[in-house]
Amino acid sequence: MKILVAVKQVAALDEDFEIRANEKDVDEDFLLYDLNEWDDFSLEEAMKIKESGTTEVEVVVVSVGPDRVDESLRKCLAKGADRAIRVWDDSIEGSDAIAIGRILAAVAKKEAPDMIFAGVQSSDQAYASTGISTAAYLNWPHAAVVADLQYQAGNKSAVVRRELEGGLLQEVEINCPAVLTIQLGINKPRYASLRGIKQAAAKPIEEVTLSDIGLSGADVGAGNSMSHVRRMYIPAKGRAEMIEGTIAEQAAKLIQIMNEFKGV
Amino acid sequence: MDNSKEITRVLFENFQPQAIHLFYAIGYLAIAVFIYGVYVQIRKYRRGKPDGSWNELFHRFVDMVKTMATHRTLVRRDKSAGRAHGLIFLGFVLLFIGTSTITLEYDILEPLFGVKFWYGNFYLLFSLVLDLAGLGLIAGLIYMMYRRKWLHLPKLDYKRVDRQEGDIDFDRSEYRREDWAFLWSFILIGITGFILEATRLVWLNDRPEVWDYRMWSPVGALLAQIMQTLGMASESAGAFRPYLWWFHGLLSLTFIACIPYTKIKHIFTAATSLMFKDQLAGRRLPKVPDDQKTAGYKTITDLTWKNLLHLDACTKCGRCQEACPANAVGAPLSPRDVILSLREFANHALSAKELPKEAELDIHGKDVGQVFMETLWSCRTCLACVEICPVAVEHVPIIVQMRRNLVEAGEMEPLLEKTLQTIHKTGNSFGESKRKRAAWAKELPFEIKDARKEPVDVLWFVGDYASFDPRNQKVTQSFAKLMHHAGVNFGLLFEAELNAGNDVRRVGEEGLYELLASSNIGTLQACDFASIVTTDPHSFNTIRNEYPDFGGKFEIEHYTTLVKRLIETGQVKLKKKLDYRVTFHDPCHLGRYNKGYDAPREVIKLLGCELVEMARNRDNSFCCGAGGGRIWIPDPVGIEKPSANRMKEAGQIEGLQVFVVSCPKDLTMFEDALKTSGFEGQFVVRELIELIDECIEYEVWEDTAVTA
Repeated sequence: MKILVAVKQVAALDEDFEIRANEKDVDEDFLLYDLNEWDDFSLEEAMKIKESGTTEVEVVVVSVGPDRVDESLRKCLAKGADRAIRVWDDSIEGSDAIAIGRILAAVAKKEAPDMIFAGVQSSDQAYASTGISTAAYLNWPHAAVVADLQYQAGNKSAVVRRELEGGLLQEVEINCPAVLTIQLGINKPRYASLRGIKQAAAKPIEEVTLSDIGLSGADVGAGNSMSHVRRMYIPAKGRAEMIEGTIAEQAAKLIQIMNEFKGV
Repeated sequence: MDNSKEITRVLFENFQPQAIHLFYAIGYLAIAVFIYGVYVQIRKYRRGKPDGSWNELFHRFVDMVKTMATHRTLVRRDKSAGRAHGLIFLGFVLLFIGTSTITLEYDILEPLFGVKFWYGNFYLLFSLVLDLAGLGLIAGLIYMMYRRKWLHLPKLDYKRVDRQEGDIDFDRSEYRREDWAFLWSFILIGITGFILEATRLVWLNDRPEVWDYRMWSPVGALLAQIMQTLGMASESAGAFRPYLWWFHGLLSLTFIACIPYTKIKHIFTAATSLMFKDQLAGRRLPKVPDDQKTAGYKTITDLTWKNLLHLDACTKCGRCQEACPANAVGAPLSPRDVILSLREFANHALSAKELPKEAELDIHGKDVGQVFMETLWSCRTCLACVEICPVAVEHVPIIVQMRRNLVEAGEMEPLLEKTLQTIHKTGNSFGESKRKRAAWAKELPFEIKDARKEPVDVLWFVGDYASFDPRNQKVTQSFAKLMHHAGVNFGLLFEAELNAGNDVRRVGEEGLYELLASSNIGTLQACDFASIVTTDPHSFNTIRNEYPDFGGKFEIEHYTTLVKRLIETGQVKLKKKLDYRVTFHDPCHLGRYNKGYDAPREVIKLLGCELVEMARNRDNSFCCGAGGGRIWIPDPVGIEKPSANRMKEAGQIEGLQVFVVSCPKDLTMFEDALKTSGFEGQFVVRELIELIDECIEYEVWEDTAVTA
């Protein structure tokens, strides 16, 4: 029994950031990297299955990204994941969520897991489609925005509750293997102590190239993606002002502002 | 006096040889029981982990003897109990030496070498000293009985704050019974000793070598007089004596046999505990050995032998509980109960021949002898308990070691967990960008040097609260102005400074502490400076006492000593005097942790303020409640906060104008408590730096500030 957990190292913005010269992204100097918040929950869900049943469960985390991603993978190992896989090749740079799904599906074909968990979305790019595209490339069933999971290692199917709009829940029975995208709040993620993270450094992180999973540069990268970032920018701020003073003063101020807008 | 050999005391006179043999047999049995008990105890301690406290053994021994001889630690904050214990201690020691002297002559020197010395003048003096010793012993014991029975001291109530009424270990009544059994058996030994002496005098009143010298045992002589007046004759005294003799003898031997099994063992455990006292206990927490897989204490065998010995040294005096700020506000923590729980656990689990299974050694949980998570998280690591413990029990290191295990298991408040993750990510507890660490300096009319780029005399380690908290930033700016005004060549680490880690370590997140400490040490070592100054007592403590364990040895001082020197040497000129009536709150990490009691007080006086002390001051200062990471854990609603408790204490000072602190966290805690406890408008909370600031006229800068 094996669960593959797809995780991502996301970027958070430092205060007072700047946009790169090519206007496609934020300047790397102003980015702080950490594990995607949703992934804490999907890993925890996998760990719960591993720890609750009598069946032996192997939890494998996989991520697509450069060297720096090892730090986040180590955090997953510290929380109890058995193995970590990192796929990278410089040609992957610029891939969209669909291309990443293609890579993850290729890893899944090689690993042959019984379940794949991914976060609903990443906090930086928010495509919310990597997990779904992985399912599509595998031709597996999928359930998105899973807020509750009833599944035991070895089961042929799982019952999931999906979070819909307006406080609705939809209960779905899904055949396994399946891809589930896990929603925040489904469980309480455990704390990875720094000593745990340090000790996890002893566990190996398997570095996988495209050819290892039967792909090539022609399957990934910006050129082989279905969407492209054209521009990233900070929109001009709207103006708002609190008008203070007595009623009469407020009215006078209001008239003055209106006149300014009219250009009187 | 008379030095003739006849003047001595009869031993075994009129005893049948069988009776003497029986007595010796019982004596040896008692010693055997005693030795076995000692063996079991030592076996128990040896089941703990090693501890490196064997250095400077002679020095430690001398210190221990001094502490015991002066009863220094026992008279602190409880003079009467300390003195009464002194009498019991002295009486017991003298009586023990006396009995040993008799054994030395009667059982060793005389039969082997024919040497006798226990007669004549020596005997008479011996007699007098022992009579006084016995009197002291009984007087001390009577006071202790009176204290237990009639003084109703809360600290002698063993009812627990961490257990409910009805739990089997709620009131620990067996301890109360043991206390009384101890007091009664001890006092009976003393009383029967005197009656026995008096009976002997009455019995032998026709022997001049006995009767004529009776005044050398005055208590016995007085009692003999009373017995005779009541009509006791020599014969009846002679007939009564053997019964009393056996009673006294058997009671004494039982007492000796019981030592290793009962509270009497503190004779040895307390002394040894004092001898192995760690002067830096709690100030410098233990490192986790590199080869150790798990951090902290999970099982009773994770404790070191020294910890196990400390558990046995506790005499339940309750001074720790009395001093504990968490206990004072009703949190489920009494340092004594933690120690006693673990002691009971150790006695239960480690006294048998075989060790129980690993699972039965877990000290965390809700069972008898286990320590609750809530109890451990209630601790503020203020060291009040360690400070006052008369027998050098080190509670805080044990509590932190247990917390390390909780942290590994993720058993903590969600908010604390979040803060630890934030510190890991950003290097500060405010979750602010590293770049913003020195943002407060931008508003100053002068540039502060970057110590990473140019050599400075003084490196200022600012700390999180002083850097990021808006209220504290004002103080930080004032201190910068003061240093600039005094012409101190100083600099900062700017964004390279990380949280010093003091509180992270006291929370029990050792891995994160190691990361912060080694990063700061690396940064500091790359800079060229003579010494470090900080306004934050927490950073001060860990850099001073704990960084050396990680290879970072630096000169560091708290700003109070630096400012005092600057004022005294005239580098800082006070343009006016203040006439405030103030009180001073000793920050735990400056006062108790590092004995920095005097400098802030002297500065306050140099400013011209009238200093009125609160009842709890200096080493008994009352924690603001923020220590040990508690500043990141919300206090439970409905119970008083330690800071509010402190405000009430300050509020009792008539005409108080300023409550002076010298710690950024104190400023935050007490300004908050001032509002919530209803003293707002009566007095204000101020950092000492702000008072100094009032006395310096920064004319030059005001000009530059305007033009800038």
